[in-house]
Amino acid sequence: MDKDFAIKVENVSKKYCKSLKRSMLYGVKDIARNTFGLSSHSDKLRKNEFWALDDISFEVKKGETLGIIGPNGSGKTTLLKLLNGIFWPDIGKIAIKGKVGALIEVGAGFHPLLTGRENIYINAAILGMTKEETDRKFDAIVEFADIGDFLDVPVKHYSSGMFVRLGFAVAVHCEPDILLVDEVLAVGDSVFQTRCYRKINEIKKRDNVAIVLVSHSLLTVEKFCDNGLFLNYGKIKSYGEIHKVIRDYQSAINQLLDEQKSVVGAIPGVPYCTKEVEIIYVKYLGKDNKERKEFSPGDALGIRIKYKTNNTVFNPIFQIAILNQEDLCISVFGTHIDKTKIKSIQGEGIIECWIDNLPLLLNKYFITVAVYDKTHNITFDYWNGAILNKYIQILPNRTSEKMAEYTPICYLNNEWTFYKEENND
Amino acid sequence: MSEIITTYEPDNSLKKGYLSIFSEIYNEFKKNRWLTYQLFKRDFFALYKQSFIGVLWVFIIPLVSVGTFILLNRSGIFSIGDINVPYPIYAILGMAFWQLFSTGLITSSNSLVKAGSMIAKINFSKKSLVIASAGQSIVSFLIQLTLVIILFIYYKIAPSAAILLIPLFMIPIMLLTLGLGFIFSLLNGIVRDIGNILSILMTFLMFLTPILYAKPSIGILARITNYNPLYYLTSVPRDLVLTGAITEWKGFLISSIISIFIFIICLVVFHLTETRVAERI
Repeated sequence: MDKDFAIKVENVSKKYCKSLKRSMLYGVKDIARNTFGLSSHSDKLRKNEFWALDDISFEVKKGETLGIIGPNGSGKTTLLKLLNGIFWPDIGKIAIKGKVGALIEVGAGFHPLLTGRENIYINAAILGMTKEETDRKFDAIVEFADIGDFLDVPVKHYSSGMFVRLGFAVAVHCEPDILLVDEVLAVGDSVFQTRCYRKINEIKKRDNVAIVLVSHSLLTVEKFCDNGLFLNYGKIKSYGEIHKVIRDYQSAINQLLDEQKSVVGAIPGVPYCTKEVEIIYVKYLGKDNKERKEFSPGDALGIRIKYKTNNTVFNPIFQIAILNQEDLCISVFGTHIDKTKIKSIQGEGIIECWIDNLPLLLNKYFITVAVYDKTHNITFDYWNGAILNKYIQILPNRTSEKMAEYTPICYLNNEWTFYKEENND
Repeated sequence: MSEIITTYEPDNSLKKGYLSIFSEIYNEFKKNRWLTYQLFKRDFFALYKQSFIGVLWVFIIPLVSVGTFILLNRSGIFSIGDINVPYPIYAILGMAFWQLFSTGLITSSNSLVKAGSMIAKINFSKKSLVIASAGQSIVSFLIQLTLVIILFIYYKIAPSAAILLIPLFMIPIMLLTLGLGFIFSLLNGIVRDIGNILSILMTFLMFLTPILYAKPSIGILARITNYNPLYYLTSVPRDLVLTGAITEWKGFLISSIISIFIFIICLVVFHLTETRVAERI
């Protein structure tokens, strides 16, 4: 057996019952059978039961992060609960090495009437910490939670952000060997989310913790995970290296959208496209007209879009948006905004957009390119840099290094003029 | 670093055999002492937090029931029977022992349901949860005991020195409560009817058991009482406090043995089947 593993899941299946009344009956029956030492024959489906997870196998090594992605209802949370031992598998075997810390719902054990201080101790105990451990880490927990004067206030008066911060602070300080994180951090603001992920990264590196992360944010998954697992209807659709899994997920979703001819915005970031005009590629160019992805503040950036259309399309709109990693739109420009009218396009062609002085500062930025019809209502094609992981990376230069201590958010091209006297008109 | 490998697979406990269950249970209890205490503290502090008179509620419930009985007795509707100590002491002490059982059973059988979302989201010892809830009734018992002591002072009677033996004589009824609490909390988690049935049953049993009246010497109730373990478990400790003597040793011993068996059986069943409850709660 591989000695390095932290989590090993072998052919695991889990069934649920759709009918509440039957579920009660089955529950009592199973209890009776287990009591008398009879097997509960959990590997067979009874009436109204279905497999919520079907034949799942994977392995997570120490220090490795696995990202679980999939549409709602695909069994992601059920899988996490099985890993945590809250539910037990009906078929198969799960082996877990070491102490598990789970962030399936932060603050689940909090009592609303008790104060933050009291709840820290209780929650820590529920998560398996001893009194000494809690005493030792109390200050660190309070500091991380950043709840200030509210420490001795009943938690029902906390804002939801404070609640999550406190819950996360306790959970992350219990020094697990394995950390299970569900989509819990979505509640906090972006500052807190960044801090949480930084903390998760920190304990991952320091303690060689194995992490299983469930998220709908492909960006987060891609940034954090080594491997990915794509679930759909309780089955593994793709498993392996994270970029491959994300690509599989994307193509599965695109296929689904094609089948459904669904409404705009069915998945975040990709509206339904008619493909009347197709974007063949998008390239980021430097001043020298060569493709690159690293730029410095103040550089020139060219965006070259190659398109193809079989028909003649009149007055199409090309639109470009620049987004940061939190999906925040930094800027948007388009032929309809900038009054650059394109009369018509036909066949293959190239369109370029140039920004002379990039105002962006150190970070990754994603670019989204879309082609619309003249009314801006029909999307011909949509090229999402975030999903395709086509980003531009802004590297520091001397100017930005000097600016850094003021933590500015953008670089503005500027010119200074110097006069001897005030110029009175 | 020594790392323990935990495995989850269907019918896990059964594969290990029945014998290893006891050591498993013991280790779980030992490991979770701090958790049990924390949960107990949480339940206790939370119970009376948003209330003006707070813990005084523990006094009010027995006072009202006993008061009703005094009223019924004085107006000749109901005969309490022959009791040679002041009735309030007799009744409140009886109620204290009775509530150890009834409140203990009701709170512990509701414990898993009340913690439903927590059970579905965190993996922790569910036994601790049940024990912590059952423990609440011990606190109420102690508070009611102070009420009894106040009454002793008021009536200028001295309780027997055997009052110091109370902790020992509480053990059987506590084991019975906890054992039934384990099994009913589990069933209540799956089928909610259990909780309702229990509260009705408790009222019925309280009137069936000579708590607020003396044991009748003839009639159908007398015969039922002879076979009612709850009668022995509550009245023997009470007699001990009031008179210092035990009249019904045999009944108490048999009832205690029954209680211990119920406790062990229920605990094992709980241990074997507790993993079933999280998905159905």
